[in-house]
Parts: sequence; C-alpha cells; structure tokens
Amino acid sequence: MKKWKSYFLVLSLSVTAIFTGCSNQEVPSAAEGKQPAAEQEGPVEIDFWYALGGHNGEVLEGLVKKFNDSQDEVEVKAAYQGDYYENHSKVLAAVAAGNQPDVTMVEIGVIAAFADAKVLADLAPYTQGDEEKYIPGLMKNSYWNDKLVAVPFNRSTPLLYLNREMLEKAGLDPKGPKTWEELQQYSKALTKQEGGKTVTYGFSTPIDIWFYEALVFQSGGNILSEDGKSLAINSPEGKAPLEFWNGMIKEGIMKAPPGEKYNAWDVAKQDFINEQVGMIFTSTGDLKGLKDNAKFNVGAAFLPANKDYGVPTGGANLVMLAKSSEEEKKAAWKFMKWITETEQTIPWSLETGYMPVTQEAVDSDEMKAADPNFRVALDQLQYAKPRPMVPGYKELQEVIMTEIQRNVLGQATPDEALSAAAEKAQKLLKK
Amino acid sequence: MWKEIALRRYQSRSQVVPQKSGQLLEKSRPYLYVAPALAFFTLFFFYPIAYMVYLSFYDWSLLDLSAMEWVGLENFHALFTDADFYQVLSNTFVFTVFTVSLGMGIAFFLALWLNHRAKIYGIVQAAIFTPHIISLVSIAMLWLWLMDPQYGLLNAILESFGLPPYSWLADTKSALASLILVSVWKVVGYNTLVFIAGLQSIPKYLYEAAALDRSPAWKTLWKITIPMLSPTLFFLLIINTISSFQVFDTINIMTQGGPVNSTNMLVFYIYEQGMDFYNGGIASAASVVLLLLVALLTLFHFLVLSKKVHYR
Repeated sequence: MKKWKSYFLVLSLSVTAIFTGCSNQEVPSAAEGKQPAAEQEGPVEIDFWYALGGHNGEVLEGLVKKFNDSQDEVEVKAAYQGDYYENHSKVLAAVAAGNQPDVTMVEIGVIAAFADAKVLADLAPYTQGDEEKYIPGLMKNSYWNDKLVAVPFNRSTPLLYLNREMLEKAGLDPKGPKTWEELQQYSKALTKQEGGKTVTYGFSTPIDIWFYEALVFQSGGNILSEDGKSLAINSPEGKAPLEFWNGMIKEGIMKAPPGEKYNAWDVAKQDFINEQVGMIFTSTGDLKGLKDNAKFNVGAAFLPANKDYGVPTGGANLVMLAKSSEEEKKAAWKFMKWITETEQTIPWSLETGYMPVTQEAVDSDEMKAADPNFRVALDQLQYAKPRPMVPGYKELQEVIMTEIQRNVLGQATPDEALSAAAEKAQKLLKK
Repeated sequence: MWKEIALRRYQSRSQVVPQKSGQLLEKSRPYLYVAPALAFFTLFFFYPIAYMVYLSFYDWSLLDLSAMEWVGLENFHALFTDADFYQVLSNTFVFTVFTVSLGMGIAFFLALWLNHRAKIYGIVQAAIFTPHIISLVSIAMLWLWLMDPQYGLLNAILESFGLPPYSWLADTKSALASLILVSVWKVVGYNTLVFIAGLQSIPKYLYEAAALDRSPAWKTLWKITIPMLSPTLFFLLIINTISSFQVFDTINIMTQGGPVNSTNMLVFYIYEQGMDFYNGGIASAASVVLLLLVALLTLFHFLVLSKKVHYR
C-alpha cells in the first residue's frame, strides 16, 4: 500500500509540474477576463511606474495620494522602479510578459525607441486638443510620426550653478560667466592651490552626453544630420566642446569628476556643496537639493554661450502603454491630465526644481514670485533644442559618451574620437 | 541455520508482490523518481537554453516581439567584427584569471594559518567569512565609497602614509584592478572555509609519519597537504571560474562598464545590449558565446586537471 501511495504522489507531482508549465500563458488572459467584473464595483485601478528616488520621489508619491483622495473613479498604484534606465528595462520586460503598467515615465531620448516599436498609445483620442496647454518648447520630444505619444512631466535643462559667495570674494560678477571665454577666466580666478595640490577647482562637469549636446548646440552644431541618418559631430562644431574641456583640464582649472554616469554627477554635486568647486553644470532638477544642502548662496545661470546660448531639454515624459484596455486608458489619461494641470505643476516645480509644464503656470503669479533661480530654466527654454529623436539614440549616446571620454582621458585626439564615433553611428543609424 | 530461515523468509516475501504489474513498475520506477526533477530542469534550464540559441539567429528586441527577423549568423558576425566585444572578452579573461588565482592563493595561506582549534582563530575565520554572506550589491556600494578618489577611506589611508592617492575606478588603467580587489575580498572567506574543511579531513597519521621522517615543512606541504587537498582545490577552481565569468553586480553598481569600456565584461555586456540598447539578437548571441566558453573551460578543467586530483 505504502508503495502505491508514493507512486501516486510522485506521479501527481510531476503531472502538476507539467500542467503548471503549460498553463502559464493562459494565466494573464484569465486575469484579464476577471478584471472588468471587479472594476464595475469600485474605481478603475491603474499602475504607474516612476523613476524618481529620494526627495523628488516623495513629492511624486504625495501627488499620487492627493489624486486618489480627490476622486473615486480612478485608483493609481504608484511604484518606484529605480532610475530612468532601470525603469525602461522593467517596462520592456513587462510589456513582453503582458503585465505592463498603464502609465510610466520615459526619458525623452528613448521615446522614439518606444514609439517606433508601437509600445506607446496614441494620446490624441484622449487629450482632445488639451495638449495645447503645455509649453511648446517642451513638446518637441512628444511626437512620433505625427502622433502624440507623450506629455511633458518632470522636465529639465542643464544649468550653470554658482557659488555666489566664492565668486564675490574673487571679485567676479556673482551673476556668473556669460561666454565660454568668461567661464575660462572665472574658473582660473576661482582655482586655488595649496602646496602644489589643487584644493578648489573653478569649474566641474561630468563628461556626459547631455552637457556635450549643450556645448555642440552652443557652437552652432547638431548631433544628427537633418534626416537623422548620420552623425553630425565629426565637424568643427563637434570638436569645439572637446577642445574647450581639454584646454581647461590641462590648465588645471576644471575637474572631470570620476565615476560613470550618475556617479560622476553625484561627485560633481558633492564637490560643489563642499565648496571644492566653484561652478558646476547639472540639471534644473537638482536646484532644490543643492539649495537645501549648501551653506552658501547658490545661484543658477544660463549655460555660457559660444556662438550662441543653447541647451538640450531633458528629464522624462509621461506615456500611456498601448496594450492597456480602453477603460484603463481612459483612467490613465485622467491621471496624466490631472498631474500636469497648472494647479499640480506649480507645486511640483517649486518642490523639485523641475520646470512647470503648462504655459499658464509659467505666467502665474506664484511662479513669478518664486526664487528667481526657478525662472532661469524657463527663460533658457527659448534656446532649447529637443534631444535627437531616433530609435537607436540610447545606444548611440553611449557610443558618443565612450568616445568623448576616451578623448578627455587623453587616449585619443578629438579627431580620432569623433571619427570613431561617426563610424560606429553609421552602422547604428542604418537600422 | 539462521541464515536459511532468513533467506526463506526473504524469498517468500518477494513472491507476495504481484508479478506482472510489478515488472512494469520496477522498470519505470527510476524514471518516475527523476520525473519531477527532470520536469523542473526542462522547464527552467533546457528549454530556456534551447530558446536562447534559437533567438540568437534572429534580429529582435523586447520592445516589439512581433517584428522578429531571421538573420542567420549575422549576430555572431556582428559580435566578432566588433572591437568592443574583443575588449569585453579580454576584460573577462583578465578578471577571471586574477580573481581565481588571487582568491584561491590568499585563501589557501589563510587556511593554513587558521587551521587550529583555538578561539581566536574562530573569530578570525568568522571575520573573513562575513563578506560572503553580505549581499554583493551592498558590498559594491560600500567599496564605491571607500574608493572615492577624493573623500574615500582608502586614499585617506594612503595619504596618511605619505603615499600619492590612487585613481581606483576613475582611470581606465586602475578600474579593472579595483574590481578584482573587491571580488577577491568577497570570495576569500568562502574559499578559506572550504580549504579549512579540506585540511581537517587530512588524516593526522600522514603528518606524524612525515614528522618522523624529518621532512621539511615545504616538502610536507608539497607532498602531503596539496595532493590530499586536490579535490577541494579542483572544486573551488571550477566554482570560482564559473562565478567570476558571470560577474555583474559590482560592474552594474560601481562602473557601468566604464571608464571607456575598461571594466565591461560578458554578462554586463549582454544585459546592456538586451535591456538598454534593445538588441535582443546580439544579447542572445553573446549569451551563447558565454555558455560555450564556460562549458569549454569546465571541460578543459575536467580533462586536463581531474587526472591530477587525488581522491581517497
């Protein structure tokens, strides 16, 4: 008897294992079938995945809670998924598995890749022209093949941050340098050495694609050609930023912060707060954090001009996933519309330093009364250009970043680095 | 007499089992026993591996699974004509060689030193084993701070001895060495513990005999300890090689493969291609290369080294 029991047990176990294996694919559809029944009873539940940690994440969670409390038709479940790129990876995996969120944040340089693969829903049927409320300068990374696929949310531009007191002590204009030449002069004046060791650098910036884009724009150039089929930086405009940086590093007045990607950004910000660097480039999104942590008067200014001012915009847009059901999409838009409304975008901007996204907010008394630093990014917007909109840009930006770092570390001349980048880009952009 | 009775009893009992169904069961029994495990392996190992090989012949991305396109060996061609991939391979090899040799070498001498039964040795053992039980992610974050060129503890120590600061992760020449240091630190504790277990299973009489023959210490080490420890050495060699081939967390947190690809290694490369650059085909092809390399290395170890392993 005992033997039979054990055979049976083994058999049933293996059969169960096989069946659970087979029925895996049917699980989502069964769940989908059940959902509408549940939805009729209570509010529509939508998933919102976001990519902001720390203080900014808390502010966002607060807004979501306010939305949920303000009405009972839509219940937003917000979930933090790591930084932008971790969030993208998770969204991708979820899309393939069929359990994607309904709304998520996508970094603006990657919108094209998501849109090109038809992952994003066309928003026009839901917005019904409502998108006109947004600042036109922030809408340049929102369209793909003439379809509206994203709305601006936490948007930024790079800013030049100044330690005003340090500048004043050195007898410099606390408004900061206006041109590349002045930036170099200011950096030289701020750099201090003690016993053959530099204790204070005038200027620091991560050798990051975003700032490189800015300097190329300032030199009158572009990252990609008009048709988006080739790289345009193998040119005097693409070379100028590298020569500018190399010159300042050689002179010992600029620090290239060590570390990769956002590690380098953290080092630059830390140096600035510790007054080991007088001026840095970083995002508008850091305004609040730097002001709170610095023991000195923090100033913000336009990035200095070469031929002209120029910056890329940055940050993330909100998108809706194409795979969601019609009901979820309607609920999703309600949330997207609400959180980008003037009443929400003003406190969002003041709490985080990201730009308000509606024209109405920009013209509001509250924004006008705010710390003038908050307005710098808005005023700079007239010189802003979109980030390149091609599906392969994420990979391309890594290629460019690797090559310009190779140059800044002294392993390649500017010409070698840029022609290597152009060659690799040729392959990528053909896809 | 007793034997006979026992035998008779045994025979009579075995006759009780019904013959026909019994034979069938007898034959299928082993298969039934392995079935659950086999189902598990098929579902989570064989099927994914087969599917990965299949995917490596397609141009596809997670973004849009409906747009899969058969490209034959194009992905492999792209990999092996890309200079970056060769750097990734060479980084992986350098990393593996140094992590394994240093990780095992240091652990071996630590084990010889700690192979005593006093309390103080127990405390030291526990201390060096601790890194093994801490999550690698936390370890990586910790070392990232220690290695900060400006505020880090390591450079502060160097400076207090009047030495010039080291660039650690900031320079292409030192970044890979820094990652090796972290991995060695992590793996030494585990290796030491396994070595100590191996050392303690070596019979004492061998050492007593050597002592009687007045064999010098190095000769005892060479002729007794190492041969008797060879199964442990072999086990650790294979485990360490495979795990350092698959290094990911430290790279992901500390360097992201940089500066300028100097710490980019196979698994991180696969992740980057598949998840960040949406090149599923390239990622699958690189995974096939990784699988083959690990398989070949392990096979090499078994064919060449297993003859030298002394099993008791």
